Amino acid sequence: MSALADLSLVDAVDAMQAGTASSVEVLTACLAEVDAHESAVNATTWIDREAAFAAAKAADALRASGAALGKLHGLPLAHKDMYYQAGRLSSCGSMIRGDFHPDITATVVDRMSAAGAYAFAGLNMAEFAQNGTGHNRHFGQCNNPWRLPYLTGGSSSGSGAAVAARFTYAALGSDTGGSIRLPAAANGVSGIKPTQTRVSRYGVMPLSFSADNVGPLARTARDCARILSVIAGHDPLDPTSASVAVPDYEAGLDGDLRGLKVGVPVNYFFDDADDAVRAAIDASLAVLAARGATIMPITLPVMDEILTYGSVMSRCEGAAIHAQWMRERAQDYAIHINSRLFASLAVPAAYYVEAQSRRGPVLQAFAAEVFSQVHVLATPTIKVCLPTLAETDVDAGAPDAVSKSTAVVANTRPFNYLGLPVLSIPCGFDPNGLPISLQLAAKPFAEAILFKTGDAYQRDTPWHARRPTFQP
Amino acid sequence: MSEKPEFVEHTVATIAQWHGVTPPNAVALRMVEDLQKTIADFSALRGKLRFEDEPSSFSAALLAAAAVEVTP
Repeated sequence: MSALADLSLVDAVDAMQAGTASSVEVLTACLAEVDAHESAVNATTWIDREAAFAAAKAADALRASGAALGKLHGLPLAHKDMYYQAGRLSSCGSMIRGDFHPDITATVVDRMSAAGAYAFAGLNMAEFAQNGTGHNRHFGQCNNPWRLPYLTGGSSSGSGAAVAARFTYAALGSDTGGSIRLPAAANGVSGIKPTQTRVSRYGVMPLSFSADNVGPLARTARDCARILSVIAGHDPLDPTSASVAVPDYEAGLDGDLRGLKVGVPVNYFFDDADDAVRAAIDASLAVLAARGATIMPITLPVMDEILTYGSVMSRCEGAAIHAQWMRERAQDYAIHINSRLFASLAVPAAYYVEAQSRRGPVLQAFAAEVFSQVHVLATPTIKVCLPTLAETDVDAGAPDAVSKSTAVVANTRPFNYLGLPVLSIPCGFDPNGLPISLQLAAKPFAEAILFKTGDAYQRDTPWHARRPTFQP
Repeated sequence: MSEKPEFVEHTVATIAQWHGVTPPNAVALRMVEDLQKTIADFSALRGKLRFEDEPSSFSAALLAAAAVEVTP
């Protein structure tokens, strides 16, 4: 394995800016990993090597000229195949959009390009970002780089697997019910779902306009902080994006957690959790405590409201935007997608309006109770040991596939209804050799405290630096 | 396909009437059946919605929640 591909995103940028590595060398190292492992992992949907090397050579020439360089200068990246890039394929993981070439480019891609990065591949994903397991019948399953028969998590399956496998230093994912955090957790990498409205959604495939979020997956919390500092902030092309100022997320990464209060929920998030997961979370809390944090139990309010209202909001929006394709070509969706879309059409409008109308008051009740006591909530990202792709294959009729899939996503969905920022970082391995992850949530627009906590944890732990072994 | 329970049959007919979509497979019928849990969950929350609540409150709630501070 190439030492260059094994660098973190920040270290790779530093190496290029210092002149100890070129963008062409870094790209070559990433593509070598792709060539070695893509046949096993199946993380990509397309690769544009010619354009990538042209961009790499241009980046190296710019550095040689002495020009000012961006925060991501020379960095080759790959993204979930739902970020529109004018003229390039954006399949959305589907047959229906299998030949879709948008004529616009997503604001987040433009912002990363302006910072010096270039995209060289599209990444596998759940069809239309509509499952938490990563199954995809059209492009084939994306396999977990740690143990190939196990699920990668979804919907940003290729993003998680590609970052873990060293195909790319970071990847954009999207998160409507956990789709950044689940693949980050399942593949042993870091990922953040920012505050709702923190990042522009312009040029990004919609699933649920109320709950869709754009964010990065990368090796470290610091890498995620670097990406978010580039892509966050108001965008006139997305009027729902917040005008709240974007701080320097990396400035506060000093490893000092003195004064930080971390709440560990006593209700819901550990219900039916596997012992290996509980043990890994307990150990990770001890690491935070050793850095100065105070760990305390906390009872979370309004969980029935969060779970009930959150269960219909994105379903109704997804059903509405897919209704015409459901009339005309329902059989072009996978079974687990079209069956759910069909049933979602029956949810009454009054339920949807109730869920939307209660969202603000529920968030305020939750925040007043929780964030007056603690700065950060700590839970498992996935509270069970990872199942296999076969065990969770609804389309193949696997017994208990729905309940096993539901258990995987149980801990991520509540934070989408609340719109809170949430970071997932790896914190151990289960008895099957699959990653376990810690989920950290904070009040709206407090991404900085999440990065600070995650970075402090990663200073003392090895999990984020481990390489997958591609076990069959 | 076996005989459908009344709830499923009624709901499938409603979807066809209102949306012009028919069940794509048997799993869809099971998903419809599962909606009874959604009804039960919403029933348990009846009376929580206040007359003045509206969806536009969420953006303001994000900012209000961001202002909450940990009390010493």
